[in-house]
Amino acid sequence: MFLAWKEIKQNKLRFALVTAVLLLVSYLVFFLSGLASGLAGLNREAVDKWQADGIYLTDEADKSLTQSMMEADLADKVEADETAVLAQTNVIADNGDVKSGVSLFGIRPDEFIMPEPTEGDKFSEALEVVASDSLKEEGFSIGDELDLSGSDVTLTITGFTDEARFNAAPVLYMNLDDFKKVRPGAAAQSAGREEQPEMVNVIIVRGGQPDNVPKDLEYMESETFIENLPGYTEQNLTLTFMIYFLFAISAAVVAIFLYVLTVQKISMFGVMKAQGISSAYLSRSVIAQTFILAVIGVLIGFGLTVLTGQFLPAAVPVSFDYGMMAIYGAVLIVVAILGALVSVWTIVKIDPLEAISG
Amino acid sequence: MTEHVLQMEDVTKTFGSGRTEVRALKKTSLNVSRGEVIAIIGPSGSGKSTLLTIAGGLQGPTGGEVQIAGERITELSEKDRSKVRLEHVGFILQSSNLVPFLTVSDQLKLLDKVKKGNMSKEEREGLLEELGITKLTNKYPNDLSGGERQRVAIAKALYSNPSLLLADEPTASLDSDRAFEVMKLLKSAAVKKHAATIVVTHDTRLTDYVDKVYKMVDGVLHLEADKGGAEPLENGRTDFLEKGGNDDGV
Ligand SMILES: Nc1ncnc2c1ncn2[C@@H]1O[C@H](COP(=O)(O)OP(=O)(O)OP(=O)(O)O)[C@@H](O)[C@H]1O
Ligand SMILES: [Mg+2]
Repeated sequence: MFLAWKEIKQNKLRFALVTAVLLLVSYLVFFLSGLASGLAGLNREAVDKWQADGIYLTDEADKSLTQSMMEADLADKVEADETAVLAQTNVIADNGDVKSGVSLFGIRPDEFIMPEPTEGDKFSEALEVVASDSLKEEGFSIGDELDLSGSDVTLTITGFTDEARFNAAPVLYMNLDDFKKVRPGAAAQSAGREEQPEMVNVIIVRGGQPDNVPKDLEYMESETFIENLPGYTEQNLTLTFMIYFLFAISAAVVAIFLYVLTVQKISMFGVMKAQGISSAYLSRSVIAQTFILAVIGVLIGFGLTVLTGQFLPAAVPVSFDYGMMAIYGAVLIVVAILGALVSVWTIVKIDPLEAISG
Repeated sequence: MTEHVLQMEDVTKTFGSGRTEVRALKKTSLNVSRGEVIAIIGPSGSGKSTLLTIAGGLQGPTGGEVQIAGERITELSEKDRSKVRLEHVGFILQSSNLVPFLTVSDQLKLLDKVKKGNMSKEEREGLLEELGITKLTNKYPNDLSGGERQRVAIAKALYSNPSLLLADEPTASLDSDRAFEVMKLLKSAAVKKHAATIVVTHDTRLTDYVDKVYKMVDGVLHLEADKGGAEPLENGRTDFLEKGGNDDGV
């Protein structure tokens, strides 16, 4: 540490450059990880909120919620501690000032996915909805009357709830009884026949044994369901891939930088080795240096990321998962030290004789 | 018990083989005792540095045997030889002996860190005083003159109280006044620290300060001058009868 620190202090510019590179890389890594968890939240928030264990879809739907369509009565046939039926459709909601693409959820108020409003009241009257609080920022408020695309129905917001976004759209929760009036094309259908069985997209369950899956249904765990949301896995993989790539880049940059610095010092190291200072001591010094620089770089990168997060408009889907960031930060430090191993190898190979006779 | 810190017996060194073979050292024997300062002069390429690096355990000889402070280093692994160097050998080079980013006192502190330094505070201050560098302790090598740098290098080499001090052209980068001064300091410090000292040099004028002068020609070492009595040591030793392995005390 002695040698490492003295050298850093004496060659500030040089080491500041290495630190700056690590800082920028870690800033980018942290930001991408924030973006990844932000975007993931955008997709899965509502599903996570349910705290459900699994979901039943029709097997012909191939894991797609919108393609799954079943009779609500099937909920009685699945084995579970608790069940909740869900009908879903995407519509555009218009309060007169702003329009927003929303995900409309038809649910039964007595089942467990019924949201607890963080503001306002639960829906009770016909055609009332509890909306995702992200709509507030878009300019919606309690009491707004919403015209829906593809139907003549008007919904009224009675309350807001948090963590209610599904597949990147804010959710409107409403009573399943009213839902059929809203579903596009539903009007025409109901005109044909009076008594129609109640239709839902999926059945959400807590507990129970999914061994006996009713005919024509397919069971999947919540996590599998989320991974199969359109675009979710692709998006996640892309960002994760970028982060891993950044790890490789920082390893390479540190390796090259330190290698150049080490090569410049070969004769000095040679003299020191001739004097009997061991390769191990010199190598530890290089590792210590890398560690110091990486820690400084990552910490500043972390600080900058958090700071940037404060000033970002709400529309940017960034949410910082500090546990994940700590892991990424640690990986960055480890990866930098791996890069320093090239220099260690160089030091070990230095022949003190050459320094002496040079 | 032997009084010779360095014993080299029938040491040979050959580089390469066949048509490119270079016999850098031909059957050389050399013994140096504590407190003794010898100089090796000779033309370029005659094998002086080769001899010195073998004496310091930086490379092994092709044949013969080398002992430093009683250890047969020819039989040791590189790791153990490095330990012998750490404990017993001090090197002074033509230049670049110093770590550029450490102050003079930090150069010595580094040696403490790697357990090479074994001087008390008084000893250290005495050494710095002796070499006239007490006022330079907070300076970096770049801010020192060539002569000052070499004096620091001597302090560094002697800091571990080495039994064997090896200097390869320590004055080559200095003008002759500085060279004399450094040589004088080297000699007196080495004698005070009781180290066996070998100085390789081109400059025959510098040999005034040493006990013995050897000349290396084409890999063969001759005793050129023995001025053993030039500067008597405290314990009254005034003469040495090397060159035959007379190892007994005088
Ligand atoms: N590693 C090596 N490989 C091959 N030949 C070598 C090697 N080291 C030294 N030699 C040869 O051994 C001979 C003696 O070299 P050495 O460096 O000991 O000379 P020197 O007396 O120190 O010369 P100078 O005064 O120029 O420093 C030279 O001919 C040199 O070319
Ligand atoms: Mg030489």
